[in-house]
Amino acid sequence: MTKLKLGIYWAASCGGCDVSLLEVDEQILDLAAAADIVLWPCAADVKYDDLREYPDGWIDLVLFNGAIRTQENLELAQLLRKKARNLVAYGSCAHTGGVIGLANLSSREEIFSTLFKDHDPIPTEVSQVDGCSLELPQFLNRLTPLDAVVSVDYYIPGCPPPREIISAVLEAVISGKLPEKGTVFASEKNLCDECPRERTEQPITKIYRPHEIEADPEICLLDQGLICLGPATRGGCGAACPNANMPCTGCAGPTAGVTDQGAAMLNTIASLIGVGEEGEAVLQDEDAILQEIEDVIGTFYRFSLASSALGSVCRE
Amino acid sequence: MSDTGGNSFEPKIVAFLCRWCSYAGADLAGVSRLIYPPNVIPMRVNCSGRVDAGMVTEVLAKGADGVLIGGCHPGDCHYVNGNYKTRRRVQLLKAALEQAGVNPERVHLEWISASEGGKFQKTVEGFTTKLKELGPSPVGCDD
Repeated sequence: MTKLKLGIYWAASCGGCDVSLLEVDEQILDLAAAADIVLWPCAADVKYDDLREYPDGWIDLVLFNGAIRTQENLELAQLLRKKARNLVAYGSCAHTGGVIGLANLSSREEIFSTLFKDHDPIPTEVSQVDGCSLELPQFLNRLTPLDAVVSVDYYIPGCPPPREIISAVLEAVISGKLPEKGTVFASEKNLCDECPRERTEQPITKIYRPHEIEADPEICLLDQGLICLGPATRGGCGAACPNANMPCTGCAGPTAGVTDQGAAMLNTIASLIGVGEEGEAVLQDEDAILQEIEDVIGTFYRFSLASSALGSVCRE
Repeated sequence: MSDTGGNSFEPKIVAFLCRWCSYAGADLAGVSRLIYPPNVIPMRVNCSGRVDAGMVTEVLAKGADGVLIGGCHPGDCHYVNGNYKTRRRVQLLKAALEQAGVNPERVHLEWISASEGGKFQKTVEGFTTKLKELGPSPVGCDD
C-alpha cells in the first residue's frame, strides 16, 4: 500500500495549531506509519520551490492553519489549493479568522503606526540594506479566513482544535474514510448541548466579567451574568471552558447553518436581559445593563469578526 | 465610496415591518396615497422580534445602505414582548456597528402603528435624507 502524503502549513498563526497535533499522543505514530509528511515548515525543512515542483493534486491532505494576512499567506493558500486533493482549514484562524481577525477593526496604517510607533523606518515591502534589496511580503488591507481566498474541503474548528476532534480527523485520514466535502469536524449542535451546567432560566440583571466574580461551578454561566458564547458556538470540545469554570469565548465558530456568530450571540444576550416585568418603566434599567458590556465586538465576535459582515468594513 | 456621494446617491433601504402594526401602517400610507421616497424595500415579518441581528448584518453585507425596523408601540406588541427584545437587540447591534466603523444611524428602529401611515411616510423620508448624507454603506469591502 502506498503511503498517504500529508502537508501541514501555517499562515498567519501563533504556532499553537502545529503543537496541538501532538496532543494525540501515541496516535501520531499511527499517522507516521500511514502517511509521509511532505510539508511541515514548523518541523521539517521543505522549500517553497520544492513545493512548486510537486504535481497538482499530489498531496492527499493539507492541514492549513492560520489566517490570510500577507501576500505570502495568500500565495501559499493558492499554491496549496492546487497541490492538495483535500484542503483543510485547521483551527479558528483558518476557519473564521480567529482572534487576530479583530485586527480588521483597524486599518493597515493604524496597525503599523501602533506596532512600529517608535521605530524608524517602518518596514516597507522593499528595503535597501548595504547595497542589497530585501523584500517582505505585502501586508494585506484586511485579514480573511482561508475560505475567503480558496475553496476549502473540510473545517476543523477550535483555538486550538481539541484533542478528540484531531483524533477523529486522523482516524478518518488513516482509514481513508473522509466524510462529505464541506464537513465541519465538530458537533452540529451548540456548546450548551454538551455543557453539564444547570440552567435556572434566570434573566440577566447585571453583567460581570470573568475576573469580577467567582462563578458557581454547577449553574449556567449566563444565569450568573457572565457572557458565555455557548448558545451561539458549535460544540465538539466537550464544553472545555465551562468545565474549567470559564465562559465560552466562541472559538469553534457558529453552529451549522449560521453565518454571523456574533449577531447570534448578541440576540441571545438581548433576549436574556431583564429587570422585572418588561415595559416602559424598566427601559432605562435595561439600557444600563447593556451599557455594562465594554467591548461589544471583542465579546461577541472574538473569533469570528473576519468572517462576518462587520469585519469587512471599508477603511480610509 | 465617495464618487457616488452628493445628491445623485440614492440609498437602498431594507425595511423589516411587523405585520400587525408597521406593515399595516405602510399599507395605509399607500392606500392614503402619501408620497414617500421609493428607496425603501419593505419586507413583512410576523413581529419586529423576529428580526435578528444577523438578518440586519446580512442585508448590509448584500448592499443595503440602511435598515429600517418597524414594530408596534411599546405595550402593543401582538406577541406581548417581541418589540422589547428588538429594542435591546438593536441597541447592542448599534454599539457593535459603531465599533466596527459603521455609522449606527444606518439601523433605525421606529414604532409605527397600523393607523400611522403618516408616521411611516415621515420616517422613510427622514431616513432616506439621513442616508443620503451618510453616503454608501462601507460594509463589504473587496480589497
